[in-house]
Amino acid sequence: MRKTKESKGNKGDLDFAEKRTANALYKKRAGVTESFHPVILLVYFVGMAAVTMVTLHPVLLGVSFIGAVFCTGMLTGMRKLLKSLAYSIPMLAVIAVINPMFVHKGETILFFYNNNPVTLEAILYGAAAALMIVAVFYWFKCYSIVMTSDKVIYLFGRILPRLSLVLSMTLGFVPKLKKQYKKISAAQKSMGMYASNSVTDRVLSRFRVLSALVGWALESSVETADSMSAKGYGLRGRSSYATYSWTRRDLFILVFVLLALGVLTAGMSLGAGVGFYPAFKGISAGLWDIVAYAGIAVLGLFAGLMELWENIKWRLFVSKV
Amino acid sequence: MAIIRIEGLSFKYNGAQEFALSNVDLEIERGGFVVVCGESGCGKSTLLKLLKKQLAPKGERPGKILYDGVEIQSLDERTAACDIGFVMQNPENQIVTDKVWHELAFGLESLGEGSGAIRRKVAEISGYFGINDWYRKRTDELSGGQKQLLNLASVMVMQPKVLILDEPTSQLDPIAASEFIATLKKLNSELGLTIILAEHRLEEVFPIADKVVVMNKAGVLLYDEPKKIGGLLREADPEHKMQFGLPTAVRVFKDLGGVDGGGKGECPLTVRDGREYLERNFTNGIKSLDGLNAAGKPPNNSRDAAGDSKTIPKNDAGREYAVEIGEAFFRYERSLPDVLDGLSLDIYDNEFLCILGANGAGKTTLLNVIGGVNRLYRGRLRIYGKKIKEYLGVSLYRHNVAYLPQNPQILFIKSDVEDDLKEVAKLLKLSKEETESKINAVCAELNIAHLLKKHPYDLSGGEQQKAALAKLLLLEPRLILLDEPTKGIDAYSKRVLAGILAGLKKNGKTVVTVTHDVEFAAEYADRCAMFFDGKIVSLDTPERFFSENNYYTTSASRMSRGFYDRAVTAAQIVELCRANRGA
Repeated sequence: MRKTKESKGNKGDLDFAEKRTANALYKKRAGVTESFHPVILLVYFVGMAAVTMVTLHPVLLGVSFIGAVFCTGMLTGMRKLLKSLAYSIPMLAVIAVINPMFVHKGETILFFYNNNPVTLEAILYGAAAALMIVAVFYWFKCYSIVMTSDKVIYLFGRILPRLSLVLSMTLGFVPKLKKQYKKISAAQKSMGMYASNSVTDRVLSRFRVLSALVGWALESSVETADSMSAKGYGLRGRSSYATYSWTRRDLFILVFVLLALGVLTAGMSLGAGVGFYPAFKGISAGLWDIVAYAGIAVLGLFAGLMELWENIKWRLFVSKV
Repeated sequence: MAIIRIEGLSFKYNGAQEFALSNVDLEIERGGFVVVCGESGCGKSTLLKLLKKQLAPKGERPGKILYDGVEIQSLDERTAACDIGFVMQNPENQIVTDKVWHELAFGLESLGEGSGAIRRKVAEISGYFGINDWYRKRTDELSGGQKQLLNLASVMVMQPKVLILDEPTSQLDPIAASEFIATLKKLNSELGLTIILAEHRLEEVFPIADKVVVMNKAGVLLYDEPKKIGGLLREADPEHKMQFGLPTAVRVFKDLGGVDGGGKGECPLTVRDGREYLERNFTNGIKSLDGLNAAGKPPNNSRDAAGDSKTIPKNDAGREYAVEIGEAFFRYERSLPDVLDGLSLDIYDNEFLCILGANGAGKTTLLNVIGGVNRLYRGRLRIYGKKIKEYLGVSLYRHNVAYLPQNPQILFIKSDVEDDLKEVAKLLKLSKEETESKINAVCAELNIAHLLKKHPYDLSGGEQQKAALAKLLLLEPRLILLDEPTKGIDAYSKRVLAGILAGLKKNGKTVVTVTHDVEFAAEYADRCAMFFDGKIVSLDTPERFFSENNYYTTSASRMSRGFYDRAVTAAQIVELCRANRGA
């Protein structure tokens, strides 16, 4: 009994915790990147992730990684960044180590492990791949922070207005469904139903709660449908409203991002080649190599620097006031 | 000029045998505020839905409904969507989208308006309804009152000429409900909006209504000014179920037969007018019922009428306790504040206790603690003399404690009521015959035999509650906990519920309810407790409890304060007035 009771207690806790995080997210200070037009955010973050994914060049990856971590740090704050690094750096190391354990190509043999050669090239390759994965991870982390559901819906709404409404309705419905599930199962438990610890009982209980939930969902969606048609849903020529609009700044930033992406792509396709086997060759300094390095430095650090500059500006502003 | 004219309207649902509405004639003036009342299932909702083209139910419909001289069904879709706004009962289910701003824009998007126009209208409406502060919030973060206000605003943004509302406050707490009603009044008086409102809680809407429609089974019984309704209802049908739902002042006036006993005079609608009426027409030589009862007259209040022989001994010393809570502390998380903060409460065996208090104060948490769902981190809790920890397995829920949640719907998991009841019997491992006889007994007690074959979701609020209660009673609890049992049910169903609870008490059970409904508590409870700031701050019989409260009290108590002592229900005022008239 004590065990089941405790699990009930935890349910309540969870509910509260969820509410708190939701509030925290809502109250969080908005970064400058978040105020960019959603199209820019999409182009920039997806662009950075894509560029990072197609290369294994250590310099490009290193800069991209630094940019991603920098941007994440600016968006989430130092404490959260360190927490996530505490997970991702060991992960990076593990991936880097796994490759030389299975791949034995490469001419610089460092030592033998289980009668197999461990080569410098394989280690470098593993490290590059790991860096790539972690950098992409951080880019997507930034993306998910700045791309709130509103923005996703807005972007889809431009292409498919109906889809955007469906998305918005789904996002509104899921929390309701979750709440109802918790209520139904708590009510069942408070009647002392299905409280035994046998597995079949628990599975059956879940199943019954789910079937009741489906009934409830159908019932409530009838009312939602009524409410929609009462507000004229289904009339010809539906429009799609959004709270975003293009500003001059957005235009400048978009042009800048596209230009930088163009330069970077050109640099990467004409230079910045890399090879690991049999011998590592990559870090060269031809014209196109330098173009690519410059491109990724400008683009990769852009978001983080924008945030940093905004912070400094506010400090100055506040000190003036 | 009439904006809506209904002539000889009848309506029969497809496949139904009887008419849901028959021969309705109504004329609603432009800018009028019309309140439609009647017991559940009298056809209120059907009538309101027929006024909105998009929601009109399918069926046979002789007669005419004219909007601005045009038959509703032949209005073009755009006008029908814009000009007639409709707000429904459930605040949650009406919300379509995930964000407040999107919800406000939804109707205008349907009309295909441009971004500029939408931005302007949404801004305007947010300002008018005071939504600015939560404009960017997620809709599921809002409180019930905010949700319903958002529903209203998202209809009003389409600039309707007529606003129809079907019991919009029934799911709200009293404070949110009066705010909502105040908003409606503002819309009516500032914008000249025509409002048609179906309501159970008439205390606040009667004074602001121009006309009241009282519906009888499938038809309109009365259609007149609120001042005349009390008297007319008394003449037309003294047994009408609606009379219990009328505002206190109207009920007192009606039961006393007006100024002269013959139904004459101006009917008071508000507490202020009711007070004036009492002071002008009655003396207060006999100030309280105590004196009256001591004089040998039998007490005659509604608690006894409900079938209960209430006798609270002057000396409670010998009574046993059902629940003992001592210095109890509870919080949901370590970093959160205490919800129960040193609460102490003893509940006698075989009493009906009402716990009152503001929304979100933690009343439900207290019930959950007693029901074993939440656990105290400090303090004592004994149920029938035994520590709650000592109830092993599910023994707390077998023959001891049962809990009826605020929304009884969540107790149902089967597709008809009978299956749901059998499910409980299965848990108790009863034989087939036992199951049968027990279910029959419970059904007879609650009078729900006719509901057994229905789907739980098809029942009305009051019926759902009874069916859920049946489920709990099969577990044969000694202590029954009810969370807001009067929410969303009409005045007559409340009386029925009170009768059931009194019956349970008679059978030796203890009933504890958490409620906002002061009128209900005053009329039926043995004791009332005030929950505030994590503690019980006062605990007394309803007469003393409500006569000592100045603000958090019944309309009857506010009306008779200072004039009579300890009269907290309409029935008590009427009795005192009669006694004084006789004296």
